[in-house]
Amino acid sequence: MDTKVRIFELTMWPHMRAAYNLARWLVRNDHDAEDIVQESFLKAYKAQESFRGSEAKTWMLSIVRNTAMDFLRRYKSPITMTLDEPGYEPQDDSPDPERVLLEQSRRDRVRQAISHLEPEFREAIVLREIEGLSYKEIAAVLNIPMGTVMSRLSRARNLLLVELGGTKEVQHDLR
Amino acid sequence: MTCAEAGALLHARLDNELDMAGAASIDLHLSDCRACAAQYTALENLHQEITEADLAYTPGIALERKLAARFLEEEKSPTRFWRWNWLNASVMAAAAVAVVAAIVSIPMLRTGRETDAVAAEILDNHLRALQAVHQVDVPSSDQHTVKPWFQGKTDFSPPVPDLAKEDFILIGGRLEVIHQQPAAAIVYRRRQHVIDLYVSPSAGSDSKTELRDLGGYHLLRWTQNNLNYWAVSDVDPSDLRTFADLIRVTR
Repeated sequence: MDTKVRIFELTMWPHMRAAYNLARWLVRNDHDAEDIVQESFLKAYKAQESFRGSEAKTWMLSIVRNTAMDFLRRYKSPITMTLDEPGYEPQDDSPDPERVLLEQSRRDRVRQAISHLEPEFREAIVLREIEGLSYKEIAAVLNIPMGTVMSRLSRARNLLLVELGGTKEVQHDLR
Repeated sequence: MTCAEAGALLHARLDNELDMAGAASIDLHLSDCRACAAQYTALENLHQEITEADLAYTPGIALERKLAARFLEEEKSPTRFWRWNWLNASVMAAAAVAVVAAIVSIPMLRTGRETDAVAAEILDNHLRALQAVHQVDVPSSDQHTVKPWFQGKTDFSPPVPDLAKEDFILIGGRLEVIHQQPAAAIVYRRRQHVIDLYVSPSAGSDSKTELRDLGGYHLLRWTQNNLNYWAVSDVDPSDLRTFADLIRVTR
């Protein structure tokens, strides 16, 4: 095997799991996520000029993220986006939403709450809470300033709190 | 600090992204404002809940195989135009560390019994291969390509089982000389770890597996049906044992 292929593998292969996880959260089904990962690895393989000593993981994830976002833009239809979502029920078909919620485990509810966030909030939560990336790394993956990372996370978490805990918008004392 | 100012900074505090002064001013506000303190506790609970839910998706083994196959295609394709000026410093640094480690540690290991010398030579060979100069002569994830390749090159037939189901992916094979003896090196991958299996003829009788650790790497050796086996890798020793057991039942 070629030296270059080998080095590409040594550099990028370890990030396949993270790449798949991000793609899977963004496109929300296994089949498309696999396609996104394959496309991203081939793009990375052919686009080395743009890789200038930054972290391999954030570089790989930014390619995955852009590929997934392109995919979502191209095939943006509620049907494709939710078809394979396990446990997803269209609102009209749920006879008793409260009972459905009770039957779901808390874990599934957390998963669904994140899954139902808009992509820009979802990716921030996935990168921070599931992949454990720092703001600096998230900023590099999403190509946004660190301040924007903070405000997106803030918005995303508040949405999750409302969705999950029934927490109301916090009333602050006037100070 | 007002609640409005605290707002998003609560998240930065939660994510350990504030410097000491910033963290202290948030903490001061939290000790002072019940609403923000309650919000912060809710955020902590949410963070813990997401972490405990363990929501990461894991790719199936098929993805790695598909990807490996596509890379082999790319490699064979005549329209290779890409250049490799993108190698990052960390890869070069890692390679340099490995080279230094090999230079420093291996000569010191070349003492004692002959098996120790062979172990050092095996590890040396494994490390050199990892540095990507000479990984495989026959790159293939197909056992029916790799196994026949050795015919005519060696006067013995090494086992080349397909262990993909067990999460050991065949990468290929190459010919080596270990301790003045021709040896077949069969290369597998377990996640990001490379396992080299060295097989050479032996006059000795069958023996059990014997594990040794050298410089963070693990080597398992055994003799079976007049063949000597060395498996070497930086995978977990229990994974290496599983691998050896699978090879042993192949014969």
